[in-house]
Amino acid sequence: MIRDHSLIDELLAIQALDGLDGDDETTLDRELAAHRPCEECDRLQVEHAEVAGRLAFALDPLPVPAGMVDRILAEPQRREAAPQDAVARDEVARDEVGRDEVGRRRDARLRRWQAATGVAAAIALLLAIVLVTRGPAVPDRFVPFQGASGELAMAYTPGEPGVYVWGDGLPDPGPGKVYELWMFQGGTPIRGACLTPADGSLATFVDTDLGSSESMAVTVESEACPAAPTTEPVYTAELS
Amino acid sequence: MEPAEQVASRDEDLIRRIGTGDDGAFRELFSRYASVAHALAFRLVRQAQLAEEIVQEAFLAVWRHTERYDRSRGSVRSWLMGTVHHRAVDAVRREQAQRRRSEDAILLQAGAAEDPIDDVLAAIDLPAERRAVREALADLPDEQRDVIERMYFGGESQSRIAELTGLPLGTVKSRTLLAMRRLRDRLGATGP
Repeated sequence: MIRDHSLIDELLAIQALDGLDGDDETTLDRELAAHRPCEECDRLQVEHAEVAGRLAFALDPLPVPAGMVDRILAEPQRREAAPQDAVARDEVARDEVGRDEVGRRRDARLRRWQAATGVAAAIALLLAIVLVTRGPAVPDRFVPFQGASGELAMAYTPGEPGVYVWGDGLPDPGPGKVYELWMFQGGTPIRGACLTPADGSLATFVDTDLGSSESMAVTVESEACPAAPTTEPVYTAELS
Repeated sequence: MEPAEQVASRDEDLIRRIGTGDDGAFRELFSRYASVAHALAFRLVRQAQLAEEIVQEAFLAVWRHTERYDRSRGSVRSWLMGTVHHRAVDAVRREQAQRRRSEDAILLQAGAAEDPIDDVLAAIDLPAERRAVREALADLPDEQRDVIERMYFGGESQSRIAELTGLPLGTVKSRTLLAMRRLRDRLGATGP
């Protein structure tokens, strides 16, 4: 059967330029899922990404400050596995019977979810101040999330239900979009709650049970709050 | 100039070596792309410190997580520039959302709109890749180049461009696709 790729082609072109928004993000996800496996979709995605990547080279290079490379190298490497191991994992995944492309990509996402690192003491302090003012039941675990921008943290008491979530400087998830909190238990994402920051800030109580969750993640999702994540995590946190 | 295939192969080898903790490989990748990444970030966010932070975060992610590179999704340089662009666009849109709450937003937006890629196109004596991409951009019909400028170099979403230009969203989409196809045809498989 010959499928029409015109819509996917158009949306992938815009996505490659980071211009996609609104319902079209959901539409693209849905169309891609409906086409899988789809070599033509993959080809179009790579093709548009390559063109977009080339555009940067139209600009006059701007030297970076001296010492930046040394500062980066001073940071420890925190890889999950060497690239060779990643290749081996992918080969195993390809051999698994009955698993489609969507499933493999979801597994790859889940592996990356466990990459949370670092400490944000300032966030924890601010969170503590906020929470102390809310009453006597002050959580005793403060966990900062790692993400591209803004600050996000959570607090909880092991064995007790409920999670306090606090954020500041969070990017607008976009029209028709929300943040969705996920608990990661034994390789499976468990839906936490949908969160909508106001002016980039967030301070809320999520009535959920962390149970045996070993990590947390936040994705950008449609307002429908899907039961499973459909995008890459934008914030992650380890609970151990 | 190295053929595109050699560049891609060399970059992939660097990524593999970085994955083993090879500082030298990271320095080489950094020297190849950091200044372009910096130019891209600065072009979008227009704040020196923020642009530096974006570049540093992007390369730090490379240093820590080479396994995130998937060669089936494209070249190393496209992955790198895509990472930088995505982070910069996030920063731009966050700031735009804040700006819209003040009257300053209108003035700042007008200033941004008056900064087309012409200044980039006006430069002379360019390395071949830069010249090729600039020529490809210059070869676009004005209305298509305008959409690419606003979306890629301005960090505007499709809806925002429709809002700013008064064009139907469908027209913005179709111009973007036509421009990308034309750029692909023009740039082809050639590279630095």
